[in-house]
Amino acid sequence: MEETKPYSKEQFLNAEKEMSKLVLESMKKYETKPNVIFAKLEEVTKALSKGLVEWSRVRSLWPLQFGLSCCAMELMDFGSARIDAERRGYLFFRATPRQADVMVVAGWVTKSMVPEIKRLYEQMLSPKYVIAYGECATCGGPWWESYNIIKGIDQVLPVDVYVVGCPPKPENLYAGFIKLQKKISGEIED
Amino acid sequence: MVKLKIDRKDIAKMAEELKTKGYSYLVKITAVDYEKTLEVIYIFRDMRGNKEETLEVELDPADAWVPTLIGEFGAADWYEREMSEMFGIEIKGRNAERLLLEKWNGKAAPLRKNFTWNAPYETSD
Amino acid sequence: MTTRINIGPVHPSTHGVLRLVAEIDGDTVVNLEPHIGFLHRGVEKLVETRMYMQSPPYMEKLDYIAPMSYDEAYVATVEKAMGVEVKERAMWVRTVLLELQRIASHLLWLGTMANDVGQFFTVFMWCFKDRDLVLRLLQEASGARMFYVNMRIGGLIRDLPPGFEDRAREVLDYLDKQVKTYADFLERNPIFMERMKGVGVMSKEMAVDLGVTGPVLRGSGISYDVRKDNPYYVYEKLNFQTQVRSEGDCFARYRVRMLELRESIRLVRDALAKMPAGDAIGMPVKLILPNAKNRIVSVSRELPRGECMMYMVADPQKPYRLAIRSPTFINLAALRHISRGCRTADIFAILGSLDVVMGDCDR
Repeated sequence: MEETKPYSKEQFLNAEKEMSKLVLESMKKYETKPNVIFAKLEEVTKALSKGLVEWSRVRSLWPLQFGLSCCAMELMDFGSARIDAERRGYLFFRATPRQADVMVVAGWVTKSMVPEIKRLYEQMLSPKYVIAYGECATCGGPWWESYNIIKGIDQVLPVDVYVVGCPPKPENLYAGFIKLQKKISGEIED
Repeated sequence: MVKLKIDRKDIAKMAEELKTKGYSYLVKITAVDYEKTLEVIYIFRDMRGNKEETLEVELDPADAWVPTLIGEFGAADWYEREMSEMFGIEIKGRNAERLLLEKWNGKAAPLRKNFTWNAPYETSD
Repeated sequence: MTTRINIGPVHPSTHGVLRLVAEIDGDTVVNLEPHIGFLHRGVEKLVETRMYMQSPPYMEKLDYIAPMSYDEAYVATVEKAMGVEVKERAMWVRTVLLELQRIASHLLWLGTMANDVGQFFTVFMWCFKDRDLVLRLLQEASGARMFYVNMRIGGLIRDLPPGFEDRAREVLDYLDKQVKTYADFLERNPIFMERMKGVGVMSKEMAVDLGVTGPVLRGSGISYDVRKDNPYYVYEKLNFQTQVRSEGDCFARYRVRMLELRESIRLVRDALAKMPAGDAIGMPVKLILPNAKNRIVSVSRELPRGECMMYMVADPQKPYRLAIRSPTFINLAALRHISRGCRTADIFAILGSLDVVMGDCDR
């Protein structure tokens, strides 16, 4: 496997900014003269909706169903009837990455699986977050000395929240999600 | 457990004999790496009377090949593939592709005793 | 003219990371090849670097749906290598815990298989709620919800807590009614019946030739169960029957597992009633070093998925080579042969009925 540096958030955000600049420039010749009243209305609704969008983004994080191994059993328990994940907005797990916000990496990651994970992460639309669930995704876990395992998912992806345990109880994942919500809305520093 | 030590040219014949005697369930094909020799082990079981028979074949690590059993036992398919990639033993008579270590380039055989844990190998992307 | 479709390592049917490359002509499957190895961590090599009783956490993470069964198979191998006999009461307690583990495993199988076939999350939610009750019982006996590590050489880490039998009986009575409800619910659904009957037929000769074991073999008409043919612990003193069906299709395998669920509930009740009093605690791990006398040992056990055989070449302090015959590895190799000629949507019904756990397959 060639040695690539892990992707960082800045790289993704910069790519988006450049794309939007290009699009705006190409649309300049289609501009019409602005009307003042509608311009003011536009400013006001933009300010309100920005707050609304951020408020609703924090409260409805849709996880990607990415259970690899034993921690996936606790992930399924997290979504089922005892600890209902849907009541806080983590609606049921999406199988397609294009509609998901959070990627919960549950299980150990082998060297054969790394290109697949990278591809899935790139297919998710930003803003996106990663939770490393369990010991194996945090640091390699009990398979630290194996010849086929990478030592933690943060060698490949940028991780926001680590949930530790082997396997962590589903209540711990619940606490991890709440921490992620606080981190997104800015209450906790990085 | 009845154990028989045989030579590698007799494997196919012994397997057929055992199959006609009723040992129709191939439990495992595996190998053990003693430093000077490699020993390949075939375990057969008779389901009705619960009898078990083991065939052991000793190989020289420099000249390691065994003939395939895929004609008589369909279960030998994946067992042989896994054993050949883990120990570096060649299977004559079929093209045994890699099963568990598909993306490894090179010929590293992990379950040998001289496999260095940080051996250089590459995975194809 | 065939199209090649890649059913990639990450797909919504919750069976773990398995890659299927299917060649399809219209809607019928011409060839199906499983590619595995996405969860391979080299357990057989790692175990050679540890002393005997440092390895049970590795063995439990092989089959992570029924972890105690692999742990028990490994500890039984070590006991045979050391020449140590298991205590009387410990045998009964181990049997009870193993059968409870089998109930939990079959409940999870039912939930995820019904998920694939069309009961979108209904039966899944019910089964997980019931599985939680059984896991709570196991947590009382051993201390953890999922990875127990409570087997010691010659016994267990601690005996069953007082009052366990009454609580277990409540849970088992409740489960008895629930299992009948699920069977009724699923079998009155015409979609379920049509998707399972006649799909993925495995004939008797094919089953013996491919070397499959467990409910897959018993669904094809051959009655082979390690608990009856090569009995271990106290299975000779308990009366139960092996369930066999002769059609060989997905519905037969489903039926075998449902009946096994009911048999396990009966077994646990029986064993709890007949258990003798005594001492069930095994060797403390940190005070006594293991010392193995026999050189080559092998042990067979009946896991919820099939037969597991451990073949060990034993050094005095650590294993020289441990070969694990995992049931899922060879059950999955049969997928290619029984899915010829079926439709694309039937692949997942067959995969669900084979009960695949990729951690066990890749080791």
